[in-house]
Amino acid sequence: MEEVNLVSEGLKFMVLGMGTVFMFLILMVVILNFQAKIINKYFPEKPKAVKSPSKKKSVNDDEVVAAITAAIMKFRS
Amino acid sequence: MKKLLLVIASLTFIFSLNLSATPHSSEAPQAPVVEKEYESKTMGELIVSFYETTGLNAFLNPKEGATNAHGEELTIFQQTGGRIMMILITLLLFYLAIAKGFEPLLLIPIGFGGLLANIPLANIIGPGGFIGELYNAGIANELFPILIFMGVGAMTDFGPLLANPKTALLGAAAQFGIFGTLVGAVALSQYTDIFSFTLQQASAISIIGGADGPTSIFIANKLAPDLMGAIAVAAYSYMALVPIIQPPIMRALTTVKERKIRMSQLRHVTQLEKIIFPLTILMLSLLILPESSPLIGALTFGNFIRESKVAERLNDVMQNAMINMVTIFLGLAVGSKLAAEKFLVPETLAIIALGLIAFSVGTATGVLMAKLMNKFSKHPVNPLIGSAGVSAVPMAARVSNSEGMKADRTNMLLMHAMGPNVAGVIGSAVAAGVLLSIFK
Repeated sequence: MEEVNLVSEGLKFMVLGMGTVFMFLILMVVILNFQAKIINKYFPEKPKAVKSPSKKKSVNDDEVVAAITAAIMKFRS
Repeated sequence: MKKLLLVIASLTFIFSLNLSATPHSSEAPQAPVVEKEYESKTMGELIVSFYETTGLNAFLNPKEGATNAHGEELTIFQQTGGRIMMILITLLLFYLAIAKGFEPLLLIPIGFGGLLANIPLANIIGPGGFIGELYNAGIANELFPILIFMGVGAMTDFGPLLANPKTALLGAAAQFGIFGTLVGAVALSQYTDIFSFTLQQASAISIIGGADGPTSIFIANKLAPDLMGAIAVAAYSYMALVPIIQPPIMRALTTVKERKIRMSQLRHVTQLEKIIFPLTILMLSLLILPESSPLIGALTFGNFIRESKVAERLNDVMQNAMINMVTIFLGLAVGSKLAAEKFLVPETLAIIALGLIAFSVGTATGVLMAKLMNKFSKHPVNPLIGSAGVSAVPMAARVSNSEGMKADRTNMLLMHAMGPNVAGVIGSAVAAGVLLSIFK
């Protein structure tokens, strides 16, 4: 086998490798942006149903507890 | 930083002692199993023969030509001083894990595996020994790294990436650590006598710059199985040392003003986007790089289970029981490569040095890319989140956050840094796939 110049091989690997990584992730960014547009346009998330006012107090308590818990979890993680 | 220097200095010292140690021959012993008939022994003989089976005797009277669990001959040094040094190194790992809190979940199993691997005569790491069997069951066939990736997928919320996809470019830039080090390593192999790695070995070593333990093991096993132990230990140690290695580099490359940059609030991501995301990634990897689809496939499977929200029990097992169990097995099996005759070789020193370079270069290019994006982007980008582009989830993102808070106590960068952080996982899996496809 003929002598391989390791450095020039390494440089070729670098070009191919970084090229592929960037291409993959740029493609991903493009697709994700596109996907987000489509989804938010045609399948928007339904706004949370408003609870009946009769249970207002307890519901509010639940929501407050949920919000605080979520905030704590987010802060801790 | 002091601790890191101490570790490197002590390792350097150990290797300089052992550079002259000759490589072991691979001649297997020919010992036909003959059942011995029991003969009556006097009490004295019993005591003497018992003493010969003790570890004390093995340390004090090393035998020329003694073999390890794999039937390879050991030098006198490997049987005595080398083992004692390795035991001291494992104790150092315990100290770092327990007193300093560096990745204790990984360093303790790895360290204990290393401790068990250096027990003379017991052959725990050979065929039939329990760690040897764990190694064959999960590392030799790359099963454990894949299972870990599944668990990582189930634990990872890709929401921050979906909310701001362009931060994925930071995860791509940080992979330069891998390829830059690859070129450096082969250049040094070609033009100097410091070490001589083949292209395969250099590739396996530089993947440490991806800061991803499972990926490193996966690649090392395919391209350079002999170097696996040192590569895995270096990769996990540097992941543990992220809070020490990264901040000086980040501070050197940014100004205080840049570190104070506030990033705009992330938009809300709908559940449908999160469910479709793993499938999108899998399709992309399937089209572009099937070679990396074992890793990406497992990652996306775990994430799909998580985001589907209807398989909560499976999700729970993946992100808790399964990944924890596999971590124990993987740690012990990797630790078996800390046996003196495997670890105390000159290459290990080069791997540790190159790994550190790969890691630092990756951090630096991530930060530089973030600075570049800040110049050209409509929304401000804090350069500190660039360093999270090396994987090491979620440690690297936490480091970005804490550095940001040092500059401005109210500036929370954590969620912004999670985007490049999880993109880094995908990026290093892609880089791994490219390297595999080259040597196919």
